[in-house]
Amino acid sequence: MLRVDALGKRFGGLAAVRDLSFEVAEGEIFAIIGPNGAGKTTTLNMISGLLEPTSGRIRLGARDITHLSSAERCHAGLGRAFQVVQPFPEMTVEENVMVGALYGTPGTREREARQRAEDALERCGLAPLRSVAAEELTLLQEKRLEIARALATGPVVLLLDEVMAGLRPAEAREAVSLVRDVRDRGVTVVFIEHVMPVVRDLADRVLVMDYGRPLITGSYREVTSDPQVIRAYLGAEDEGADQDPGAEA
Amino acid sequence: MRRALPDLAWTLLLAVLVALAPAAMKALFHQASVSYLSLASNAMSLAVLALSWDLLARTGQLSLAHAAFYGAGAYSAAILAKLTGVPLFLALPIGGLVAALLALGLGSVTLRLRGIYFAIATLAFSEVLKAVVQEIPTGVAGGAAGLNVPPLFRPHFVPGAMQRWEIAFLRNADYFYVYGGLLVLAILVSTIAQRSRLKAAFTAVRTNEAVAAVMGVRPARAKLLAFVLSSALVGTLGALEAERLGSVIPDGTFAISTTVFALVTPIFGGLYTTLGPILGAGVLSAVEETLRRTFAEGYLIGYGIVLVASILFMPRGLVGLANRLARRRGPPPPGEDEAVRTASDPGAAESGEAP
Repeated sequence: MLRVDALGKRFGGLAAVRDLSFEVAEGEIFAIIGPNGAGKTTTLNMISGLLEPTSGRIRLGARDITHLSSAERCHAGLGRAFQVVQPFPEMTVEENVMVGALYGTPGTREREARQRAEDALERCGLAPLRSVAAEELTLLQEKRLEIARALATGPVVLLLDEVMAGLRPAEAREAVSLVRDVRDRGVTVVFIEHVMPVVRDLADRVLVMDYGRPLITGSYREVTSDPQVIRAYLGAEDEGADQDPGAEA
Repeated sequence: MRRALPDLAWTLLLAVLVALAPAAMKALFHQASVSYLSLASNAMSLAVLALSWDLLARTGQLSLAHAAFYGAGAYSAAILAKLTGVPLFLALPIGGLVAALLALGLGSVTLRLRGIYFAIATLAFSEVLKAVVQEIPTGVAGGAAGLNVPPLFRPHFVPGAMQRWEIAFLRNADYFYVYGGLLVLAILVSTIAQRSRLKAAFTAVRTNEAVAAVMGVRPARAKLLAFVLSSALVGTLGALEAERLGSVIPDGTFAISTTVFALVTPIFGGLYTTLGPILGAGVLSAVEETLRRTFAEGYLIGYGIVLVASILFMPRGLVGLANRLARRRGPPPPGEDEAVRTASDPGAAESGEAP
C-alpha cells in the first residue's frame, strides 16, 4: 500500500535519513520507533510532502507520489496527524474537521463533507465539543482533533506522529482502541511512537530506526529482543536511553 | 448556501437603500445633498478598498500593493479613453481585468513569501509599477504630468428648468449609483467567500499553510484566487475614481496613502469580516470629515490619534468591540449602565465568556 525505496534526506552535511526502504501492506498497522533524532519525523515529513527527499522514491498504491505536493498526496489518500498538535486555533472543532472533509477528496460536495466530518467527530468522541474553539481544548482533545481532521480527509493510509505522547495510560488505551477502529474500517496506519506498550498493543510490524538508518523490521517481540536495538536504546548517550523497551509502565 | 440567505437579504436591502438614497437626500437636505452625495461616494469607495484588502488578508497575505492595483485600473481607464473609443463604462471592468492579471503575475512570484517579506515585495511592486508608468511614452500615459480622463457622465443640462446645484446633484447621484453598485458587488464577493467553503480554505491557509496543504487545501490556488478577486475589485475602483476625479497622475494615483487606507480601514472595523471593513469605512469617513470641518489645518493629526487609540483599545476593531459588548450584556435589563456592569463584573469581561 505504501512503499518507500532507498529514501534519503540530507540537511547540509547531516544525513537525517539514509537508504531507508520499507513497505506497508494494506490494512496493516506499522510502527516506526527509534531514539530521538533517528529520523522518524523526517521520514513522515517526506512521505506527506513537507520535505523534499534528497534521494529515493515513495509509492502510494500503484502511484509514485515522490514529486506530488502535500495537497495532491492528501487527495491521493494520505492522511497525517502531527506530533506537535496544530489545530487552526480560530476555528471551532467542527470547522477544523470540515477543512479536511471539504478539501481532502476533490469533488466532495458540501453535504457529503458534513457527513464525513460528522463521522470523524463521532469516532473521535468530539461530537459534544463541536462548537468549542480549538484553542480551548485539552491536550487529549487536541490529539483527538488531529486524528479526526486526518480521518475527515478520507485517507487510505493514515500517518500518526506520536499521538500518544503526553497522554495518561487510560487516555492512551482509549487512543489505541481508536486507532484499531480506524484500521478495522480498512485504513492502513503508519505511526511513530515512543510509548512501548502502545507499540506492543497496536503494531503488526515494527521498524526500528537509528541515526537515520533502518536497523531492523519485524514483530514487536522480534525487534525488542534484537541486540542491535537494545544497544541503540540503552547504549547511546542521548535522550533515547530513558525510552528503553519494557521500562515504560 | 442556505446560511448565505440572510446575508443576501441584507445586501439586497442595501441595494434598495442605495437606489432610494439620492431622492431622499434631496428631499431632506436640498442643496446640501450635493456634497453629502459626494461624501457618501467617498465612503463607499473606501469601503470597496477595505473589503478588497480584507479579502486578501484572509489568506494571510498582508499586501502593500493596493495602490498599485488601484493605479493600474485608473491608468487603464485613462489610456483607453485617450487612445480608443471604448465606452467609458466598459473601462471599469477592463480596469479590473488589468489589475487582476497583474495580481496573477505578482501573486505567483510572491507565493512563498510570508509576513513582512510579502509586504516588502508588494510595496516594491507598487513603486516599480509607478516608475514604469512614468516611463511609458508621454503620448500614451502622459509621463509625470499624467492624463486627463473624461467624466463617466456628461452633465445633465436642461436650460432654464434647473438650478445649478440641481445639475451637480444629478451628476453626483449618477456616480453615487455606480459606487453603490460596486460596493454591492464587493459585499457579494466578500460574503460568498465568507459563507462558502472558501472560508475554510482561506482561514486554514492563513493560520497554517503547511497543515492546510496536508489536509488537501491547495494553498497556491487559494492565495492566487484571493489576490485576483481582491485586485479586480480595486482595479475597477481605480478606473471609476479616475473617471470621477477627471485625471490620473503617477504621484497621486499610485500614492501610498491608498494602500494605508486599504489596510487601516478593515483593521479599524474588524479584520476577516464583511461587516468590519464597511463599518470602518463609514465611521472613518465620518470622523475624517468632522475633523476636517472642525480643524481645517492639521486635521490629519487628530485622525491619526483616533486611529492609534482605536488600535490600542479595540484590537479586534469595531466588530470585535460590538461582539464583546453583546456578550458582556448577556440578557440586559433595559437601560442598565454599561460602565457599572463592567466595573461590577470585571472577570466576565476579561475572559470574554458568556455568563
